[in-house]
Amino acid sequence: MPTEISPAKVPVEERLFSLVLALLATENGLTKNEILSTVQGYRQSYDHSGDNANLERKFERDKDDIRELGVPLETVQAPGDPGNNQNLRYRIPRGAYELPLDVSFSAEETTLLNLAAMVWREGSLSAESRRALLKLRSLGVTPDEPVLGYAPRVRVRDPAFEPLSAALERRNWVRFSYLKPGETEARLRTVKPLALIQHQGRWHLFAHDEEGVSKTFLLRRISSGVVTTGKTFEPLEGNQSELALAELEEVWKNHVAIVDVEPGSDAHTRLSKRRGTAVAQSGELELHYSDVNIFADELAGFGPEALVVSPPELRAAVIARLERTAADHAS
Amino acid sequence: MPAKKSATPLQAQDKLTFLLSLVPYLVERDRVSVAEVAAHFGVKAEQIREAVRLIAVSGVPGETHTYQYEDLFDIAWDDFEENDQIVITNHVAIDDSPRFSAREAAALIAGLQYLSSLPENADRAAVASLMSKLSRGASGVPSQVAVEGNESDEALALIRESVAAKMQLEFDYLSSTGERERRRVDALLVESADADWYLRGWCHLREAVRTFRLDRISQLTITDQPIVHTPGDVALPETLFEGSIDDLVVTIEVSASAEALLADYIPDGAVRTELEGRVRTTVRVSHYHGLKRLIASMPGVATVVGPPEARQIVAEWASAGATRYHG
Repeated sequence: MPTEISPAKVPVEERLFSLVLALLATENGLTKNEILSTVQGYRQSYDHSGDNANLERKFERDKDDIRELGVPLETVQAPGDPGNNQNLRYRIPRGAYELPLDVSFSAEETTLLNLAAMVWREGSLSAESRRALLKLRSLGVTPDEPVLGYAPRVRVRDPAFEPLSAALERRNWVRFSYLKPGETEARLRTVKPLALIQHQGRWHLFAHDEEGVSKTFLLRRISSGVVTTGKTFEPLEGNQSELALAELEEVWKNHVAIVDVEPGSDAHTRLSKRRGTAVAQSGELELHYSDVNIFADELAGFGPEALVVSPPELRAAVIARLERTAADHAS
Repeated sequence: MPAKKSATPLQAQDKLTFLLSLVPYLVERDRVSVAEVAAHFGVKAEQIREAVRLIAVSGVPGETHTYQYEDLFDIAWDDFEENDQIVITNHVAIDDSPRFSAREAAALIAGLQYLSSLPENADRAAVASLMSKLSRGASGVPSQVAVEGNESDEALALIRESVAAKMQLEFDYLSSTGERERRRVDALLVESADADWYLRGWCHLREAVRTFRLDRISQLTITDQPIVHTPGDVALPETLFEGSIDDLVVTIEVSASAEALLADYIPDGAVRTELEGRVRTTVRVSHYHGLKRLIASMPGVATVVGPPEARQIVAEWASAGATRYHG
């Protein structure tokens, strides 16, 4: 009976599972009260005569958690009584819940998706991929070859990635402080996140600021936590990630440096293998780069093995870095 | 991070996803062994049993709101308890597999973009059709996450081929001390961190797991020697670089925001003190030649505190670089 003195402990997953089952089974939806008083995991704590504020909060969080998994939990207005919150009904429409019948995956495609999921080594992309694989396995297709340990794996080490990708999906404005390359003080930014893109191994956020001007931020240089504001925005037309990638590629192409490297050195071996590197007539390397400050850090690491010939701003940036490091380590 | 985090631990969401995925799989089959389900989902047998026990007592409140027998899942208990076989005898509410969430689809799509740039996965039409299926199978428009296509890399292609053929690789490796050595390696994994690619494998010269930077590898060939170690039987450490008792321990100071960049070098349990946004801690390096390159690439961000010899080597490296410009 639900009138026990100390409610039996129902594991969270059992409560969530029971909620999904109950909401899938109902045609017309259940009111919040019906859910709290009858569904397994809630009913044990339901007080028929008193205040159920704690239980209601638990239900609110559960709804968010379930929706986050891609379950389309809907709210329906009571037909005769719109606007009355007490009479709102909740349900999960089967058609929007189930994978469409025409979406099926062959053994070969399943293999490829398994590999795609393994690309992400850690962090939110890896967690999302793992969950997607569970759903894929649900279809019962066996991959046509055992997945080898071999899949290139990518590390996503930027802590800003997770909150930004969540904000991206919910179309929430975000706020963070950003240390622009070449500046010494971080500044607070408020933007609409539109796409997360990896270019030259680094993650970037493509966004619009409050004036609607497009901006690209390096995730590595976000120097504070990302605050998700409650404000949402309308989706934009067009493929934002394609736009952003094209923009980054353009910048990368237009930045050309000439670097003189010591033959046979680490700088020579590594820089000549970078994408787009050409050997100039002089024997020096012609390299493309995205950001003068980031490339200067990298070149400074090569010490005397690399000498920047041009452009002057890159040359100056590398000299300043080498002098700084020498001074910081002077006895 | 001050970012909003849901109060339910992620684990419960994962478990729920597992339950919602397991039910349609079981319903589809008349009878299946626990072992087979465990192998298919890539989890331990006990995890399957636990989930089945939960499913078997779950259901919907039903007309009476009291979870009557016909409103619950049921299984053939004898088969389950005695033969480790699963037979669903009654099921409610769920028939088919759930859709992907928008973010799940986006994560797989971004992974596919990465793979599609590799030589064997060059079947772009197949990848494009798969991406569109993922979008249609998602509960919302997949969020915009994109990865730049890499140009096909010859070394990556050869490594992959060696894994498929189960043959050892041989290559010249330029170590960070500037020495060139011929290495024979059983490839285990290829990993990238930022713009850099690493091959992790069993090195027959060192008789241990080693990490090699792809851009320091040259003269790469596949030998006719079969591999001795496979990815399945070697445990790879989480960090990229393997510690050794001969490692040098160096005290550094790094700005707090950049500490994560050195995570691979900071040993577990390193003492760490933080003062005004700078962190003082220790890193482990196999020699100072690697250290000087690392520190010089983080100017103003990371500084060596000691020992004095390490400071001096970094100072000399940076000065030698600066001198070339003034010569």
